[in-house]
Amino acid sequence: MSRRAAATIAAGGILLAAVVYGLPQQAMPAGRTVQKQSETVAVIYTATPAYESLAALHGDERFPRGAQLMVQREGRSQVFTPGFVASADASVSFDGRTVLFSGKKSVGDPWQIWEVAAEGGEARLVLAGSRDLIRPLWMPDGRLVYAWKEAGGFALETVGLDGSAPLQLTYLPGNFVPDDVLRDGRVLFESGFPLGAGATPEMFLVYADGSGVESVRCDHGVGREHGRQLRLDSAAAGAGDIVFTHGNRLARFTSARAEEAPVAAPAGEYAGDVAEMPDGRWLLALRRPGQKHYELAAWKPDMAGMELIAQDVERDLIEPVVVAPRAVPNRHPSALHNWQTGNLLALDARQSRSGALHLVPAAVRAETKDDAGQVVSLGMAPVEKDGSFFVQATGDRPLRFILLDAAGNTLREEHGWFWVRRGEQRICVGCHTGPERAPENRVPEVLLRTTTPVDLTGRAGPVVAGGH
Amino acid sequence: MRRRFAIATICAAWMCWSALWKPAATVNAQLSEVEQEGYASPLEVLLSPDGARLYVLCQDTAQVRVLEAATGQVLQTIPVGRQPRGFSFSPDGRRLFVANSWDDTVTVIDTQSGQVKATWAAGFEPSSVAEDRAEKTLFVADRIGNNVTVLDAATGAEKLTLEAGRGASYLAMAADGSRLYVTHVYPNPTPHRTPPKSEITVIDPGRAQVVDRLLLPNIAGVFHVAISRDGKLGVAAELHPKNLVPLAHVEHGWAFVDTLTVFGADVGRSVEVPLDELDRYYAYSFGVAIAPDKSRIYVTHGGSDCVTVIDTKKMLAYIREHPEPFAEDLSASANYVVGRIAVGKNPRGAALSRDGAKFYVANRLDDTISVIDTRANRVTQTIKLAGPEKVSALRRGEQTFYKAYSFQGQFGCSNCHIDSTFDGLQWDLEPDGFGRDIVDNRLIEDLRGTEPFKWNGGNPTLVKECGIRTEMYFWRSQNYDDRTLTDLVLYIRSLPSRPNRWRAANGVLTPAQERGRAVFYRTIDKLGQPIPQSNQCGYCHSGPKGTSQKSFDVGTGKPTDNSGLLDTPQLMSLALTAPYLHDGSAKSLEEIWTVYNPHDRHGRTNDLTKDELNDLVEYLRTR
Repeated sequence: MSRRAAATIAAGGILLAAVVYGLPQQAMPAGRTVQKQSETVAVIYTATPAYESLAALHGDERFPRGAQLMVQREGRSQVFTPGFVASADASVSFDGRTVLFSGKKSVGDPWQIWEVAAEGGEARLVLAGSRDLIRPLWMPDGRLVYAWKEAGGFALETVGLDGSAPLQLTYLPGNFVPDDVLRDGRVLFESGFPLGAGATPEMFLVYADGSGVESVRCDHGVGREHGRQLRLDSAAAGAGDIVFTHGNRLARFTSARAEEAPVAAPAGEYAGDVAEMPDGRWLLALRRPGQKHYELAAWKPDMAGMELIAQDVERDLIEPVVVAPRAVPNRHPSALHNWQTGNLLALDARQSRSGALHLVPAAVRAETKDDAGQVVSLGMAPVEKDGSFFVQATGDRPLRFILLDAAGNTLREEHGWFWVRRGEQRICVGCHTGPERAPENRVPEVLLRTTTPVDLTGRAGPVVAGGH
Repeated sequence: MRRRFAIATICAAWMCWSALWKPAATVNAQLSEVEQEGYASPLEVLLSPDGARLYVLCQDTAQVRVLEAATGQVLQTIPVGRQPRGFSFSPDGRRLFVANSWDDTVTVIDTQSGQVKATWAAGFEPSSVAEDRAEKTLFVADRIGNNVTVLDAATGAEKLTLEAGRGASYLAMAADGSRLYVTHVYPNPTPHRTPPKSEITVIDPGRAQVVDRLLLPNIAGVFHVAISRDGKLGVAAELHPKNLVPLAHVEHGWAFVDTLTVFGADVGRSVEVPLDELDRYYAYSFGVAIAPDKSRIYVTHGGSDCVTVIDTKKMLAYIREHPEPFAEDLSASANYVVGRIAVGKNPRGAALSRDGAKFYVANRLDDTISVIDTRANRVTQTIKLAGPEKVSALRRGEQTFYKAYSFQGQFGCSNCHIDSTFDGLQWDLEPDGFGRDIVDNRLIEDLRGTEPFKWNGGNPTLVKECGIRTEMYFWRSQNYDDRTLTDLVLYIRSLPSRPNRWRAANGVLTPAQERGRAVFYRTIDKLGQPIPQSNQCGYCHSGPKGTSQKSFDVGTGKPTDNSGLLDTPQLMSLALTAPYLHDGSAKSLEEIWTVYNPHDRHGRTNDLTKDELNDLVEYLRTR
């Protein structure tokens, strides 16, 4: 790779623009910000003196020393959101014309959601509250999804740009932060694993109406966060993959595999939130060995070296987004019924990714958490000989199942929690079989016996125990 | 019939109505509506034995087009019968046989002159054809006949018929001529609410006898089958539906998975291997080919517009090293799929060059042939067949019908309506409740005047049936825009009834059919008692399509049904669409009355003898 550098000093001596191809860290020119001059596509990113990437998963501030959105156009970087004391989390609309972001106009303001034209201009307040609203993302129906801070942590919500029809997507205590809207219309978000109970960062999926929450993959690692999906219409190898950080490394979920695959990227600590440039290269935030701050570099898996795009010796440069049109994801047509409850059908509760149970459970107990966070039993339902059971549960509440033998002993229990939306009807193959497991084509025995689910809403008192 | 759409304010719906309303047309007139569009619609391709010429079977123009393989230049155009569906060479390459599915004939073409030498009668809906190595016997798979008709290869005289699977359609002859393999597109009958089953019928061509039936559990819809040159490996493309599980969502292979059955000495048994991935599906696997050295298997996907490339060694190793079953594991294909190659719209039949270097794919719905360099795994040439440049609304509708529109591209209309017909399956749809309102899938031919749709009559128009309802409860993903929906509805409403093989061309009924007709329209039972008008067959099943377009409770509801009130189904092509009743619980027409009509609520039938019921069946088959 050729090495070439050019630099210009911006007015006031604040900005230094440069083109650096495959330049090693020690050869970086001095100055505050460096970026590639010839790059024509505009890039918006967050610059912050200190980036606490996991803070939101603990309900804390990610940018304790502030943050500022920058835009790089035609080789020059400048503040993208003048007039804001803090700004971050840029999300470009699908037509490439408008940008959503989190911002604070005044010191002491909570984070609010703002909208501004991609070329800049006067920002418009979209959403404000008494607590932080962060990480807005465009949805295919013109709404946005974001995380709002409530007493229990960050929750996900979708809302119209005019603030209309807010819809909560997450119904567990904990922190939930959106990462991306996938091409299939689902919201990719991060939270602690096990869901609703753990603190290890993990990525999950949920439909735009809050239904169908599940792990992206079930090979749960030691900490996965900040995932984004590569464009499906991209010519790049791995189109449609979800690229994320695992620890500090880059990794990806491919459509074909049930386990994550490593990304053989150059050494460094990666901050995730990978953006894809029009030429198929990935725009990465990385901190190379010995370096204090994250910089932005362009790379793709078949490139020998990286191209430095922007660097700031005093700030982390993270959350890059490319200002360009992109394919609109598919909209999710909600089919939730107008019920207060949800129905859950398990085809064979014995099946699990961690090995099938040899005993057929006699019953399943459902549990929820009350408002004080105490675990409460909702009752039990019988499990059929083929492992199937069919229950009705209160919607929009924490839920988990425990499989029991005939004596009431626990055979297996879910470590985490999930929820079923009001009006949702959901089926799983087994308890934690993983997304790679498709259902067997047979009528579950429970549906041959009854088409009425066992009421486990907690409103009917103790329920049936003992199956088959 | 002149019924206004309930949502007439929707512009798209009005456009549909305006465009579609016309007086009832004859079958031929409707067929010509499609054919007059002039699209070639290449369904199958063959390479001449020397590899110099490419033969393309053009379905909608009813032609075989002969192209120079290297350039794509047209050398000859040979007219054949209506709706040709399959073709093959004689072993010496001197003759080309074409199965004409709507004429019930086989066209015999002299490949030297390009002249049609004969047209022979075959069974009901010939769909493919193969000659034995001795060139004495011709085998024809008949889709409606559910059999293989055996013809004398010299005269075309019928020798016998061999029972095959339901919807027998595709044939593959082993290279040494020792075995002929037959697949079928509709599942064989199984007890109600049990998994479908299919088979690969194995015929000894020399003796013209069925010698084996390879059972394909869980499969409903088998398409092309290919045999390796050494005869040790067979591969069939197929559909694996999930019709018995409530269709509550689509992700994780909840509606369909796309699989291959591999069989033969290399495998030691029949094994089903999946082709899909966790987040991406390869819908409507249709054409298959095995490389001459067996190193690769190629599969076309009519719903996903691509070709899958499989490393055979890796696949066989996976089969050896892992416990079955594989079909439910969406991560399995990562172990043996080595390529996905985008091609044209609705890729169907395909052919490998003799050296295996090129793979030709017939893209039925954009009139092209993709030529794939198998070493590079990429399309190196796209041959455009002559035809209209403009893509009509009808054509766009057909493209939509065959595209896998559902969440993550798992399935499309054509998954359940095989070749725009039906699938012989019963489904448990989610909105009615899990395990409730099990519904039999209905034929979608000649739908004009059969509204409303759904068994509960809940959808007054195709716009509603195919639009919002489909988006919410089938695709579970964003549907089409208004124009696309209009095109789709236009296409569906253009589908004609196929020729009725049980009704004489002149319309004259046989004596048994006449007797059955009299039973159908009788007003007095055999005891001399008047039959209330509302309990006469012809009351509910009135009009030219055999439906009053109203709902009735005829006592056929089940405890798991939310209502006994059911839309009166049309009667056209009734002979094809077993099982019967709204939930598919009646295995045959006879069972409608002998099992499911104990109180004469579904017409007065309990006074009829078995012979009289047989007469009624004979008549109904003419509808």
